[in-house]
Amino acid sequence: MLKIKNLRSGYNGIEVLHGVDFEIKPAEIVAIIGPNGSGKSTLLKSIFNLCEIYSGAIIFKDKDITKLPTHYLIQEGISYVPQGRQIFSNLTVKENLEMGCFIMDDHEIFKRNVSDVFSKFPVLKERQNDLALHLSGGEQQMLAIARALVQDPELLLLDEPSLGLAPKIMKEIFEKIVEINKEGVSIIIVEQNAKQAVEIAHRTYVLENGSIVLEGGKEILKDERIKNIYFGGE
Amino acid sequence: MFNQLLINGLIAGAIYALVASGFSLIYSVCKFVHFAHGVVIALAGYFLYFLFSIVGLNFGFSIILAIIFASLSGFLINQIVYRQLRKRKAGNTILLIASVALLIFFESLILILFGADVKTIGYIKIAKGIEIFKAIITPLQIVIIAVSIILLVVLFLFMKKTKIGKAMRAVADNKDVAEIVGISSEKIYSWSFIIGSAIAGIAGILVGLEQNLEPTMGTNLIIKGFTAAIIGGISSVPGSILGAFLLGFAENFGIWFLPSGYKDAIAFIILFIFLLFRPQGIIANQSGKGSRVK
Repeated sequence: MLKIKNLRSGYNGIEVLHGVDFEIKPAEIVAIIGPNGSGKSTLLKSIFNLCEIYSGAIIFKDKDITKLPTHYLIQEGISYVPQGRQIFSNLTVKENLEMGCFIMDDHEIFKRNVSDVFSKFPVLKERQNDLALHLSGGEQQMLAIARALVQDPELLLLDEPSLGLAPKIMKEIFEKIVEINKEGVSIIIVEQNAKQAVEIAHRTYVLENGSIVLEGGKEILKDERIKNIYFGGE
Repeated sequence: MFNQLLINGLIAGAIYALVASGFSLIYSVCKFVHFAHGVVIALAGYFLYFLFSIVGLNFGFSIILAIIFASLSGFLINQIVYRQLRKRKAGNTILLIASVALLIFFESLILILFGADVKTIGYIKIAKGIEIFKAIITPLQIVIIAVSIILLVVLFLFMKKTKIGKAMRAVADNKDVAEIVGISSEKIYSWSFIIGSAIAGIAGILVGLEQNLEPTMGTNLIIKGFTAAIIGGISSVPGSILGAFLLGFAENFGIWFLPSGYKDAIAFIILFIFLLFRPQGIIANQSGKGSRVK
Protein backbone atom coordinates (compact mmCIF):
# COMPACT_ATOMS: atom_id res chain seq x y z
CA MET A 1 0.00 0.00 0.00
CA LEU A 2 2.71 2.44 1.01
CA LYS A 3 6.33 1.95 0.13
CA ILE A 4 9.29 4.08 1.12
CA LYS A 5 12.51 3.68 -0.80
CA ASN A 6 15.88 4.83 0.47
CA LEU A 7 14.46 7.90 2.17
CA ARG A 8 16.79 10.62 3.40
CA SER A 9 15.06 13.47 5.19
CA GLY A 10 15.46 15.92 8.05
CA TYR A 11 15.16 19.54 9.08
CA ASN A 12 17.05 22.68 8.07
CA GLY A 13 19.56 20.73 6.03
CA ILE A 14 20.39 18.30 8.82
CA GLU A 15 19.71 14.73 7.82
CA VAL A 16 17.79 12.67 10.39
CA LEU A 17 16.82 9.62 8.36
CA HIS A 18 19.73 8.07 6.48
CA GLY A 19 18.20 5.90 3.78
CA VAL A 20 15.13 4.20 5.19
CA ASP A 21 13.18 1.46 3.40
CA PHE A 22 9.72 0.78 4.70
CA GLU A 23 6.52 -0.89 3.64
CA ILE A 24 2.96 -1.28 4.88
CA LYS A 25 0.40 -3.59 3.29
CA PRO A 26 -3.38 -3.02 3.18
CA ALA A 27 -5.15 -3.45 6.55
CA GLU A 28 -1.89 -3.82 8.44
CA ILE A 29 -0.81 -2.18 11.66
CA VAL A 30 2.89 -1.41 11.52
CA ALA A 31 4.67 -0.14 14.60
CA ILE A 32 7.80 1.97 14.52
CA ILE A 33 9.76 1.89 17.73
CA GLY A 34 13.16 3.09 18.77
CA PRO A 35 14.89 5.32 21.27
CA ASN A 36 14.37 9.07 21.52
CA GLY A 37 15.77 10.99 18.58
CA SER A 38 16.03 7.94 16.37
CA GLY A 39 13.82 9.56 13.72
CA LYS A 40 10.50 7.83 14.33
CA SER A 41 8.40 10.98 14.10
CA THR A 42 10.49 12.20 11.19
CA LEU A 43 9.47 9.11 9.25
CA LEU A 44 5.78 10.00 9.66
CA LYS A 45 6.45 13.64 8.89
CA SER A 46 8.28 12.67 5.72
CA ILE A 47 5.21 10.81 4.52
CA PHE A 48 3.03 13.82 5.30
CA ASN A 49 5.49 16.29 3.77
CA LEU A 50 6.15 18.13 7.02
CA CYS A 51 9.93 17.99 6.84
CA GLU A 52 12.62 18.28 4.19
CA ILE A 53 13.15 15.32 1.89
CA TYR A 54 16.63 15.08 0.37
CA SER A 55 16.32 11.87 -1.61
CA GLY A 56 14.29 8.72 -1.97
CA ALA A 57 10.68 8.12 -2.88
CA ILE A 58 7.38 7.56 -1.12
CA ILE A 59 4.92 5.50 -3.15
CA PHE A 60 1.26 5.24 -2.13
CA LYS A 61 -0.98 2.90 -4.14
CA ASP A 62 1.53 2.92 -7.05
CA LYS A 63 1.64 6.72 -7.08
CA ASP A 64 4.65 8.80 -6.16
CA ILE A 65 3.42 11.08 -3.38
CA THR A 66 6.79 12.48 -2.29
CA LYS A 67 6.49 16.16 -1.38
CA LEU A 68 2.82 16.48 -2.33
CA PRO A 69 0.84 19.18 -0.50
CA THR A 70 -1.25 18.21 2.51
CA HIS A 71 -4.73 18.57 1.03
CA TYR A 72 -3.69 16.27 -1.81
CA LEU A 73 -2.46 13.61 0.62
CA ILE A 74 -5.74 13.76 2.55
CA GLN A 75 -7.67 13.33 -0.68
CA GLU A 76 -5.49 10.36 -1.55
CA GLY A 77 -6.51 8.79 1.75
CA ILE A 78 -3.69 9.50 4.20
CA SER A 79 -4.44 11.16 7.52
CA TYR A 80 -2.00 12.20 10.19
CA VAL A 81 -2.43 12.51 13.96
CA PRO A 82 0.50 14.49 15.36
CA GLN A 83 2.14 13.96 18.70
CA GLY A 84 0.82 15.47 21.90
CA ARG A 85 -3.00 15.72 21.65
CA GLN A 86 -2.98 18.37 18.97
CA ILE A 87 -6.46 19.84 18.80
CA PHE A 88 -8.07 23.24 18.31
CA SER A 89 -8.61 23.99 21.98
CA ASN A 90 -10.84 27.04 21.55
CA LEU A 91 -13.14 25.31 19.08
CA THR A 92 -15.91 22.96 20.09
CA VAL A 93 -15.55 19.22 19.61
CA LYS A 94 -17.89 19.37 16.64
CA GLU A 95 -16.02 22.30 15.08
CA ASN A 96 -12.79 20.37 15.47
CA LEU A 97 -14.28 17.56 13.41
CA GLU A 98 -15.62 20.04 10.90
CA MET A 99 -12.12 21.39 10.46
CA GLY A 100 -10.97 17.82 9.84
CA CYS A 101 -13.30 17.89 6.83
CA PHE A 102 -12.16 21.35 5.75
CA ILE A 103 -11.10 20.28 2.28
CA MET A 104 -14.33 18.40 1.56
CA ASP A 105 -17.12 20.31 -0.08
CA ASP A 106 -19.80 17.70 0.34
CA HIS A 107 -21.79 18.37 3.50
CA GLU A 108 -23.58 15.01 3.33
CA ILE A 109 -20.31 13.08 3.42
CA PHE A 110 -19.21 15.20 6.35
CA LYS A 111 -22.38 14.42 8.28
CA ARG A 112 -22.05 10.71 7.60
CA ASN A 113 -18.39 10.61 8.59
CA VAL A 114 -19.08 12.53 11.77
CA SER A 115 -21.88 10.19 12.81
CA ASP A 116 -19.58 7.22 12.09
CA VAL A 117 -16.93 8.74 14.29
CA PHE A 118 -19.44 9.54 17.03
CA SER A 119 -20.55 5.93 17.13
CA LYS A 120 -16.92 4.94 17.58
CA PHE A 121 -16.29 7.55 20.26
CA PRO A 122 -19.61 8.04 22.10
CA VAL A 123 -17.96 10.34 24.63
CA LEU A 124 -17.22 12.84 21.88
CA LYS A 125 -20.85 12.83 20.83
CA GLU A 126 -21.90 13.62 24.38
CA ARG A 127 -19.49 16.52 24.53
CA GLN A 128 -19.80 17.75 20.94
CA ASN A 129 -20.69 21.31 21.93
CA ASP A 130 -18.00 21.67 24.60
CA LEU A 131 -14.78 23.51 23.93
CA ALA A 132 -12.02 21.00 23.25
CA LEU A 133 -9.84 22.48 25.97
CA HIS A 134 -12.32 21.27 28.58
CA LEU A 135 -11.89 17.63 27.55
CA SER A 136 -9.72 15.26 29.57
CA GLY A 137 -6.36 14.17 28.18
CA GLY A 138 -7.70 10.87 26.90
CA GLU A 139 -10.70 12.55 25.31
CA GLN A 140 -8.45 15.07 23.61
CA GLN A 141 -6.38 12.27 22.13
CA MET A 142 -9.57 10.57 20.96
CA LEU A 143 -10.65 13.86 19.39
CA ALA A 144 -7.32 14.16 17.57
CA ILE A 145 -7.79 10.64 16.19
CA ALA A 146 -11.45 11.33 15.39
CA ARG A 147 -10.47 14.46 13.49
CA ALA A 148 -8.28 12.32 11.27
CA LEU A 149 -10.96 9.61 10.90
CA VAL A 150 -13.61 12.00 9.56
CA GLN A 151 -11.32 12.35 6.57
CA ASP A 152 -12.13 8.69 5.88
CA PRO A 153 -8.49 7.60 5.51
CA GLU A 154 -7.13 4.38 4.09
CA LEU A 155 -3.86 4.94 5.90
CA LEU A 156 -3.67 6.49 9.34
CA LEU A 157 -0.40 7.86 10.72
CA LEU A 158 -0.34 7.96 14.52
CA ASP A 159 2.50 9.73 16.30
CA GLU A 160 2.77 8.56 19.93
CA PRO A 161 -0.94 8.33 20.68
CA SER A 162 -0.25 7.15 24.25
CA LEU A 163 2.04 10.03 25.19
CA GLY A 164 1.26 11.40 28.64
CA LEU A 165 -1.84 9.29 29.22
CA ALA A 166 -2.71 7.19 32.27
CA PRO A 167 -2.24 3.42 31.70
CA LYS A 168 -5.97 2.75 31.75
CA ILE A 169 -6.68 5.44 29.15
CA MET A 170 -3.70 4.25 27.14
CA LYS A 171 -5.21 0.78 26.99
CA GLU A 172 -8.49 2.23 25.79
CA ILE A 173 -6.74 4.15 23.02
CA PHE A 174 -4.87 1.04 21.87
CA GLU A 175 -8.16 -0.88 21.78
CA LYS A 176 -9.67 1.82 19.61
CA ILE A 177 -6.69 1.63 17.27
CA VAL A 178 -7.20 -2.12 16.83
CA GLU A 179 -10.90 -1.52 16.26
CA ILE A 180 -10.21 1.10 13.58
CA ASN A 181 -7.78 -1.29 11.91
CA LYS A 182 -10.37 -4.09 11.86
CA GLU A 183 -12.51 -1.86 9.66
CA GLY A 184 -9.77 -1.99 7.05
CA VAL A 185 -7.71 1.11 7.80
CA SER A 186 -3.95 0.59 7.60
CA ILE A 187 -2.15 2.16 10.51
CA ILE A 188 1.43 3.23 11.07
CA ILE A 189 1.98 3.83 14.74
CA VAL A 190 5.06 5.44 16.22
CA GLU A 191 5.47 4.63 19.89
CA GLN A 192 7.72 5.21 22.86
CA ASN A 193 5.66 2.56 24.56
CA ALA A 194 7.28 -0.24 22.60
CA LYS A 195 5.76 -3.29 24.22
CA GLN A 196 2.15 -2.34 23.72
CA ALA A 197 2.73 -1.07 20.20
CA VAL A 198 4.44 -4.31 19.14
CA GLU A 199 1.63 -6.33 20.64
CA ILE A 200 -1.10 -4.71 18.55
CA ALA A 201 1.05 -4.46 15.42
CA HIS A 202 1.32 -7.05 12.67
CA ARG A 203 4.88 -6.01 12.03
CA THR A 204 7.39 -3.74 13.69
CA TYR A 205 10.35 -1.71 12.51
CA VAL A 206 13.04 -0.65 14.93
CA LEU A 207 14.76 2.63 14.18
CA GLU A 208 18.09 3.65 15.62
CA ASN A 209 20.02 6.78 14.68
CA GLY A 210 17.98 7.29 11.55
CA SER A 211 18.30 3.78 10.14
CA ILE A 212 16.17 0.68 10.42
CA VAL A 213 18.07 -1.91 12.43
CA LEU A 214 15.44 -4.56 12.81
CA GLU A 215 12.15 -5.65 11.33
CA GLY A 216 9.78 -8.41 12.35
CA GLY A 217 6.64 -9.61 14.09
CA LYS A 218 5.84 -9.92 17.77
CA GLU A 219 8.89 -12.12 18.34
CA ILE A 220 10.92 -8.95 17.96
CA LEU A 221 10.43 -8.24 21.65
CA LYS A 222 12.60 -11.21 22.47
CA ASP A 223 15.48 -9.94 20.38
CA GLU A 224 18.59 -9.20 22.42
CA ARG A 225 19.08 -5.79 20.89
CA ILE A 226 15.54 -4.71 21.70
CA LYS A 227 15.94 -5.96 25.22
CA ASN A 228 19.08 -3.87 25.52
CA ILE A 229 17.44 -0.72 24.17
CA TYR A 230 14.21 -0.93 26.06
CA PHE A 231 14.10 -3.50 28.74
CA GLY A 232 17.67 -3.47 29.96
CA GLY A 233 16.52 -2.64 33.42
CA GLU A 234 13.79 -5.25 33.64
CA MET B 1 -23.54 65.83 32.20
CA PHE B 2 -23.35 62.13 33.08
CA ASN B 3 -25.62 61.15 30.23
CA GLN B 4 -23.69 63.30 27.79
CA LEU B 5 -20.39 61.72 28.81
CA LEU B 6 -21.98 58.28 28.55
CA ILE B 7 -23.08 58.97 24.99
CA ASN B 8 -19.74 60.52 24.07
CA GLY B 9 -18.04 57.44 25.51
CA LEU B 10 -20.32 55.21 23.47
CA ILE B 11 -19.51 57.08 20.26
CA ALA B 12 -15.77 56.93 20.89
CA GLY B 13 -16.06 53.28 21.92
CA ALA B 14 -17.95 52.43 18.73
CA ILE B 15 -15.13 53.86 16.60
CA TYR B 16 -12.40 52.24 18.69
CA ALA B 17 -14.24 48.93 18.55
CA LEU B 18 -14.14 48.97 14.76
CA VAL B 19 -10.42 49.72 14.82
CA ALA B 20 -9.62 47.21 17.54
CA SER B 21 -11.72 44.34 16.18
CA GLY B 22 -9.97 44.30 12.81
CA PHE B 23 -6.60 44.78 14.44
CA SER B 24 -7.02 41.95 16.91
CA LEU B 25 -8.59 39.71 14.25
CA ILE B 26 -5.38 40.05 12.23
CA TYR B 27 -3.27 39.66 15.38
CA SER B 28 -5.04 36.51 16.54
CA VAL B 29 -4.83 34.82 13.14
CA CYS B 30 -1.38 35.97 11.99
CA LYS B 31 0.25 36.42 15.42
CA PHE B 32 1.99 39.71 14.84
CA VAL B 33 1.21 43.36 15.55
CA HIS B 34 0.05 45.03 12.36
CA PHE B 35 0.40 48.73 13.23
CA ALA B 36 -0.06 49.66 9.58
CA HIS B 37 -3.70 48.76 10.17
CA GLY B 38 -3.99 52.41 11.23
CA VAL B 39 -3.00 53.71 7.86
CA VAL B 40 -5.59 51.53 6.13
CA ILE B 41 -8.14 53.55 8.10
CA ALA B 42 -6.62 56.81 6.85
CA LEU B 43 -6.40 55.51 3.27
CA ALA B 44 -10.12 54.75 3.27
CA GLY B 45 -10.98 58.22 4.57
CA TYR B 46 -8.78 59.96 2.01
CA PHE B 47 -9.96 57.75 -0.82
CA LEU B 48 -13.55 58.69 0.02
CA TYR B 49 -12.51 62.35 0.08
CA PHE B 50 -10.81 61.93 -3.29
CA LEU B 51 -13.76 60.19 -4.95
CA PHE B 52 -16.56 62.25 -3.45
CA SER B 53 -15.11 65.71 -2.87
CA ILE B 54 -12.57 65.92 -5.70
CA VAL B 55 -13.81 63.59 -8.46
CA GLY B 56 -17.42 64.16 -7.55
CA LEU B 57 -18.77 60.62 -7.63
CA ASN B 58 -22.07 59.64 -6.08
CA PHE B 59 -21.76 59.39 -2.28
CA GLY B 60 -22.97 55.81 -1.80
CA PHE B 61 -20.83 54.59 -4.65
CA SER B 62 -17.78 56.39 -3.22
CA ILE B 63 -18.33 54.73 0.15
CA ILE B 64 -18.47 51.26 -1.38
CA LEU B 65 -15.33 51.93 -3.42
CA ALA B 66 -13.53 53.27 -0.34
CA ILE B 67 -14.33 50.11 1.63
CA ILE B 68 -13.11 47.93 -1.24
CA PHE B 69 -10.00 50.09 -1.51
CA ALA B 70 -9.25 49.64 2.20
CA SER B 71 -9.78 45.90 1.99
CA LEU B 72 -7.58 45.65 -1.07
CA SER B 73 -4.79 47.73 0.44
CA GLY B 74 -4.73 45.52 3.54
CA PHE B 75 -4.65 42.45 1.33
CA LEU B 76 -1.81 43.85 -0.79
CA ILE B 77 0.22 44.97 2.22
CA ASN B 78 0.09 41.38 3.42
CA GLN B 79 0.85 39.87 0.02
CA ILE B 80 3.63 42.21 -1.02
CA VAL B 81 5.37 42.88 2.29
CA TYR B 82 4.48 40.50 5.13
CA ARG B 83 4.17 37.36 3.06
CA GLN B 84 7.53 37.90 1.38
CA LEU B 85 9.11 38.48 4.79
CA ARG B 86 7.53 35.31 6.17
CA LYS B 87 8.88 33.38 3.19
CA ARG B 88 12.34 34.53 4.25
CA LYS B 89 11.54 33.20 7.71
CA ALA B 90 11.27 36.65 9.29
CA GLY B 91 10.18 36.61 12.92
CA ASN B 92 7.37 38.62 14.47
CA THR B 93 9.67 41.45 15.52
CA ILE B 94 10.70 42.02 11.92
CA LEU B 95 7.07 42.02 10.84
CA LEU B 96 6.32 44.54 13.60
CA ILE B 97 9.10 46.83 12.39
CA ALA B 98 7.87 46.45 8.83
CA SER B 99 4.38 47.41 9.95
CA VAL B 100 5.66 50.61 11.59
CA ALA B 101 7.62 51.38 8.43
CA LEU B 102 4.49 50.90 6.34
CA LEU B 103 2.55 53.17 8.66
CA ILE B 104 5.12 55.95 8.25
CA PHE B 105 5.45 55.35 4.51
CA PHE B 106 1.74 55.61 3.76
CA GLU B 107 1.24 58.57 6.07
CA SER B 108 4.01 60.39 4.23
CA LEU B 109 2.43 59.42 0.94
CA ILE B 110 -0.89 60.91 2.06
CA LEU B 111 0.99 64.02 3.15
CA ILE B 112 2.61 64.39 -0.27
CA LEU B 113 -0.61 63.75 -2.18
CA PHE B 114 -3.09 65.71 -0.08
CA GLY B 115 -1.01 68.09 2.04
CA ALA B 116 -0.84 68.56 5.78
CA ASP B 117 -3.97 70.63 6.15
CA VAL B 118 -7.16 69.20 7.52
CA LYS B 119 -9.67 68.01 4.93
CA THR B 120 -13.41 67.83 5.32
CA ILE B 121 -15.51 65.45 3.31
CA GLY B 122 -18.46 67.76 3.82
CA TYR B 123 -21.26 65.42 2.87
CA ILE B 124 -23.08 65.91 6.10
CA LYS B 125 -23.77 69.52 6.94
CA ILE B 126 -23.31 70.32 10.57
CA ALA B 127 -26.60 69.05 11.85
CA LYS B 128 -28.37 70.11 14.96
CA GLY B 129 -28.14 67.47 17.62
CA ILE B 130 -31.12 65.60 18.91
CA GLU B 131 -31.70 65.63 22.61
CA ILE B 132 -32.07 62.24 24.26
CA PHE B 133 -32.08 61.88 28.05
CA LYS B 134 -30.68 65.40 28.42
CA ALA B 135 -27.74 64.50 26.18
CA ILE B 136 -27.14 65.78 22.70
CA ILE B 137 -26.34 63.41 19.84
CA THR B 138 -26.22 64.11 16.12
CA PRO B 139 -27.87 61.82 13.56
CA LEU B 140 -24.45 60.88 12.23
CA GLN B 141 -23.35 59.82 15.67
CA ILE B 142 -26.39 57.56 15.95
CA VAL B 143 -25.42 56.08 12.59
CA ILE B 144 -21.87 55.50 13.86
CA ILE B 145 -23.07 53.60 16.91
CA ALA B 146 -25.59 51.59 14.89
CA VAL B 147 -23.14 50.70 12.10
CA SER B 148 -20.51 49.71 14.61
CA ILE B 149 -22.82 47.43 16.57
CA ILE B 150 -24.29 45.84 13.45
CA LEU B 151 -20.83 45.22 12.00
CA LEU B 152 -19.56 43.67 15.20
CA VAL B 153 -22.56 41.34 15.35
CA VAL B 154 -22.01 40.38 11.71
CA LEU B 155 -18.33 39.74 12.41
CA PHE B 156 -19.25 37.58 15.40
CA LEU B 157 -21.70 35.49 13.35
CA PHE B 158 -19.18 35.23 10.52
CA MET B 159 -16.55 33.83 12.89
CA LYS B 160 -19.00 31.39 14.47
CA LYS B 161 -21.01 30.16 11.53
CA THR B 162 -19.09 30.28 8.28
CA LYS B 163 -16.46 27.86 7.11
CA ILE B 164 -13.87 30.60 6.56
CA GLY B 165 -14.67 32.11 9.97
CA LYS B 166 -14.18 28.77 11.68
CA ALA B 167 -10.98 28.19 9.75
CA MET B 168 -9.75 31.61 10.91
CA ARG B 169 -10.37 30.59 14.49
CA ALA B 170 -8.68 27.26 13.83
CA VAL B 171 -5.54 28.93 12.44
CA ALA B 172 -5.58 31.42 15.33
CA ASP B 173 -5.77 28.49 17.71
CA ASN B 174 -3.20 26.13 16.27
CA LYS B 175 -1.71 26.90 12.88
CA ASP B 176 0.29 23.67 12.66
CA VAL B 177 -2.76 21.47 13.12
CA ALA B 178 -4.68 23.64 10.68
CA GLU B 179 -2.03 22.86 8.07
CA ILE B 180 -2.31 19.16 8.85
CA VAL B 181 -6.03 19.09 8.06
CA GLY B 182 -5.37 20.91 4.80
CA ILE B 183 -6.15 24.51 5.77
CA SER B 184 -3.62 26.74 4.05
CA SER B 185 -2.59 29.27 6.68
CA GLU B 186 -1.42 31.76 4.05
CA LYS B 187 -4.92 31.77 2.54
CA ILE B 188 -6.46 32.31 5.94
CA TYR B 189 -4.00 35.13 6.66
CA SER B 190 -5.20 36.78 3.45
CA TRP B 191 -8.79 36.44 4.58
CA SER B 192 -8.05 38.03 7.92
CA PHE B 193 -6.44 41.00 6.17
CA ILE B 194 -9.32 41.34 3.71
CA ILE B 195 -11.97 41.30 6.44
CA GLY B 196 -10.01 43.24 9.07
CA SER B 197 -9.10 45.95 6.56
CA ALA B 198 -12.67 46.27 5.30
CA ILE B 199 -13.76 46.97 8.88
CA ALA B 200 -10.89 49.46 9.18
CA GLY B 201 -12.13 51.11 6.00
CA ILE B 202 -15.59 51.56 7.47
CA ALA B 203 -14.01 53.03 10.60
CA GLY B 204 -12.03 55.46 8.43
CA ILE B 205 -15.14 56.56 6.59
CA LEU B 206 -17.09 57.15 9.80
CA VAL B 207 -14.24 59.09 11.38
CA GLY B 208 -13.81 61.08 8.19
CA LEU B 209 -17.47 62.05 8.24
CA GLU B 210 -17.68 62.75 11.95
CA GLN B 211 -14.40 64.58 12.37
CA ASN B 212 -11.94 65.62 9.69
CA LEU B 213 -9.17 63.98 7.75
CA GLU B 214 -5.56 64.54 8.58
CA PRO B 215 -2.54 62.48 7.55
CA THR B 216 -1.79 61.30 11.09
CA MET B 217 -5.31 60.12 11.85
CA GLY B 218 -4.26 56.50 11.30
CA THR B 219 -1.55 56.62 13.94
CA ASN B 220 -3.88 58.25 16.45
CA LEU B 221 -6.55 55.66 15.88
CA ILE B 222 -4.31 52.62 15.88
CA ILE B 223 -2.87 53.71 19.22
CA LYS B 224 -6.40 53.74 20.59
CA GLY B 225 -7.22 50.47 18.88
CA PHE B 226 -4.05 48.88 20.20
CA THR B 227 -4.77 50.12 23.73
CA ALA B 228 -8.31 48.78 23.50
CA ALA B 229 -7.00 45.42 22.31
CA ILE B 230 -4.49 45.23 25.17
CA ILE B 231 -7.17 46.09 27.73
CA GLY B 232 -9.55 43.46 26.45
CA GLY B 233 -7.07 40.78 25.45
CA ILE B 234 -5.27 41.21 22.16
CA SER B 235 -5.88 37.77 20.73
CA SER B 236 -9.59 37.84 21.49
CA VAL B 237 -11.83 39.82 19.15
CA PRO B 238 -14.73 40.08 21.65
CA GLY B 239 -12.19 41.09 24.31
CA SER B 240 -10.80 43.91 22.23
CA ILE B 241 -14.32 45.18 21.53
CA LEU B 242 -15.00 45.22 25.25
CA GLY B 243 -11.69 47.04 25.74
CA ALA B 244 -12.69 49.59 23.08
CA PHE B 245 -15.88 50.59 24.85
CA LEU B 246 -14.13 50.67 28.23
CA LEU B 247 -11.49 52.95 26.76
CA GLY B 248 -14.14 55.20 25.21
CA PHE B 249 -15.88 55.56 28.57
CA ALA B 250 -12.64 56.02 30.51
CA GLU B 251 -11.48 58.79 28.22
CA ASN B 252 -14.76 60.66 28.34
CA PHE B 253 -15.45 60.26 32.02
CA GLY B 254 -11.86 61.28 32.67
CA ILE B 255 -12.76 64.78 31.56
CA TRP B 256 -14.82 65.00 34.68
CA PHE B 257 -11.63 65.11 36.70
CA LEU B 258 -9.08 66.34 34.20
CA PRO B 259 -8.91 69.00 31.50
CA SER B 260 -10.06 67.60 28.17
CA GLY B 261 -6.54 67.92 26.78
CA TYR B 262 -5.59 64.91 28.89
CA LYS B 263 -7.88 62.58 26.93
CA ASP B 264 -5.01 60.90 25.09
CA ALA B 265 -2.93 60.71 28.24
CA ILE B 266 -5.68 58.67 29.87
CA ALA B 267 -5.43 56.09 27.10
CA PHE B 268 -1.69 55.81 27.55
CA ILE B 269 -1.90 55.51 31.33
CA ILE B 270 -4.42 52.69 30.99
CA LEU B 271 -2.19 51.05 28.38
CA PHE B 272 0.80 51.11 30.75
CA ILE B 273 -1.21 49.85 33.70
CA PHE B 274 -2.45 46.88 31.66
CA LEU B 275 0.94 46.13 30.13
CA LEU B 276 2.46 46.10 33.61
CA PHE B 277 -0.17 44.24 35.58
CA ARG B 278 -2.35 42.31 33.17
CA PRO B 279 -0.67 42.06 29.78
CA GLN B 280 -2.98 39.24 28.71
CA GLY B 281 -5.96 41.61 29.00
CA ILE B 282 -9.33 41.13 30.64
CA ILE B 283 -10.28 38.17 28.49
CA ALA B 284 -7.21 35.98 28.29
CA ASN B 285 -7.17 33.49 25.49
CA GLN B 286 -6.36 30.00 26.62
CA SER B 287 -5.11 28.68 23.35
CA GLY B 288 -1.67 27.77 22.17
CA LYS B 289 -0.33 26.65 25.52
CA GLY B 290 2.91 25.14 24.25
CA SER B 291 0.99 23.15 21.70
CA ARG B 292 3.23 22.77 18.74
CA VAL B 293 3.87 20.00 16.31
CA LYS B 294 7.43 19.08 16.85
